[in-house]
Amino acid sequence: MILAELTITETAVIGLFVATIQFATLLFLAGLGETISERAGVLNLGVEGMMAIGAVFGFIGGVESGSPWVGLLVGTIAGGAIALLHATAAVALGADQVVSGLALTMLGLGLADFIGDDYTSDPRRALFAEVDIPGLSDIRIVGDVLFSASPVTYMAIVLGVIAWFVLNRTSIGLGLRAVGQSASTADAAGHSVVGMRMGAVVVGGALAGMSGAYLSTFVVGAWSVGVTAGRGWIAVALVIFGAWRPGRVAAGALLFGFTLALQSRLQPFGVNFSPILVSMLPYLLTVGVLVVISIRARNQPSPSPAGLGIPYRREER
Amino acid sequence: MRRLVLTRRESPTRGGQPIAFLFGLAFALIGGAILLTISGDPVFDVYERMWERSFGSLDTISATFNRAVPLALAGLAVSIAATMGLWNIGAEGQILFGATAATFVGRIFPDLPGPILIIAMLLAAALGGALWALGPGLARAEIGVSEIITTLMLNEVAIRLIVYLQTTKWKDPDGFGFPQITARPEQARLGIIWERAHLGVLIALALIAAFGWFMNRSVWGYELKIAGSSPKTATYAGISMRRKVVGVMALSGAVAGFAGGIELGGSAVRLSENISNGFGFAGIIVAALALMRPSGVAVVALAFSALQVGGLSIQTLGVSSAVSTILQALILFGAIGAAVLSTYQIRLVDRKVTT
Repeated sequence: MILAELTITETAVIGLFVATIQFATLLFLAGLGETISERAGVLNLGVEGMMAIGAVFGFIGGVESGSPWVGLLVGTIAGGAIALLHATAAVALGADQVVSGLALTMLGLGLADFIGDDYTSDPRRALFAEVDIPGLSDIRIVGDVLFSASPVTYMAIVLGVIAWFVLNRTSIGLGLRAVGQSASTADAAGHSVVGMRMGAVVVGGALAGMSGAYLSTFVVGAWSVGVTAGRGWIAVALVIFGAWRPGRVAAGALLFGFTLALQSRLQPFGVNFSPILVSMLPYLLTVGVLVVISIRARNQPSPSPAGLGIPYRREER
Repeated sequence: MRRLVLTRRESPTRGGQPIAFLFGLAFALIGGAILLTISGDPVFDVYERMWERSFGSLDTISATFNRAVPLALAGLAVSIAATMGLWNIGAEGQILFGATAATFVGRIFPDLPGPILIIAMLLAAALGGALWALGPGLARAEIGVSEIITTLMLNEVAIRLIVYLQTTKWKDPDGFGFPQITARPEQARLGIIWERAHLGVLIALALIAAFGWFMNRSVWGYELKIAGSSPKTATYAGISMRRKVVGVMALSGAVAGFAGGIELGGSAVRLSENISNGFGFAGIIVAALALMRPSGVAVVALAFSALQVGGLSIQTLGVSSAVSTILQALILFGAIGAAVLSTYQIRLVDRKVTT
């Protein structure tokens, strides 16, 4: 009797943490992309739209080719391609980043809806299979949670390490951060502000697209209107929560991923608390973190890139 | 070597923004046509249907007016915040919370006579919107927290608050178990003034006119302009920046919240998370296209409303109504391109030799 109860609890625990890893992967990819873009000084509020584009192209690419890898690739490219619009408007033409980013979200959601119209109830699937890490995946609970994930999760970790390395240990990263801190100084030092920023926005879009494709080739496994469900906004929040640093963004992704996983899994634990109220947590936590950052900024430098949100026009130097 | 560069003109081309908007509209229609052609939809039939169902008859024009109301008020809310250089990205959440506050009043006083109840609900809506924007305003004024992110985050909170009420405390007992909120009192309905257009149209026009007057003729409006364009000058003149920031955010939220009340009394029967339909986000684009000018907001909101109303009608042709969303976003991108052309000129210059 006691044994039976224990088994149920263990299944519930594994289910909760497996879902946490899935949502964390999703949020981390998009959040990492936004981090790169914001470190270069460009706020991109188009994440939700780029994610939707990635999701629809990921699904179509997957089911038409029969391979989730093709889907992931197509979604990634599509995300980068639509981000080019924000890069052109907000960086090359110096339009307001807030307005251009929101218009990108609108365009992305609309385009995804339009393109995906014929695929909404498509029964075909092109899904990633979990990859078991030999030896480690047999460990009780931990093996199921950490060493039996989709290949995209492992890829996201590798991408995170690469992004951290490039940002902090290479001259490209130094230039990128310089451009985000003070565009005019970076320009004077010989960095191409427009080139760097456009590149960062496109890379950020590609990662958001990959995140969306992961959604339609694994987490949800299908395409439907509204499949992104506001998770792009969480990715925007995550960057602030993670103080614009890949490592902390990853930690934040785990925490926010946990709250997303918790929403549909409270009952197995006998917790009688509304899952909808839990779903408010990432947003409220981000507001809280912003307040803390701002209070601390009185005594220590803010982690926010100084040039974030400010368009740069060379002649105004 | 020679290359292309953008240089700023001495002064922007006269009448630049209306032209930029029309250019954006043309850009969007062409872009939409290409998209429809690729997917094998009849372009002219789609556009004709959209026109017919938005401006084709007095009946449809009045419906277009109705939908322009929340768009214009959201645009106005964004413009108000912009006078102080603030971004209110939270109009969506303020509309939703405004409608929630109005619903609350309707639930406590379900038997009040219509006109009194409507006024009480609209006031509650404005107050609710102001409250929803007050937090971000205070955080910005007191400790310098970016209002862009806080207002954005509160949108998602407002949506979930309504979903929560829908499934719990305010769930309709007569909804056959379906998660919906009890309908608002029947008498709390905005009167019809012309065809299908309700009173909200007049109220919105009055608010826009009042704000235009207020900004250009009142002391507070004058102080706002100074504070928005030069915070240092304002501080020297003894204007409290902190109070201005909080006041402007609350006012901006109040206008958006008010729009939520109008939607509840005019177009909707009950509160739901879909009562706003993205008006708050579209309002930002509307305000940006109107360069934050009230008169422009009214015109652009009407155009966006037509696209939205028209967009809903093309579903019967078997075409996704998402076309409308795409067109609205493309207008903005087209207008950005055109605005750059009106303030800049493209020239071919000798490449600078950098040492």
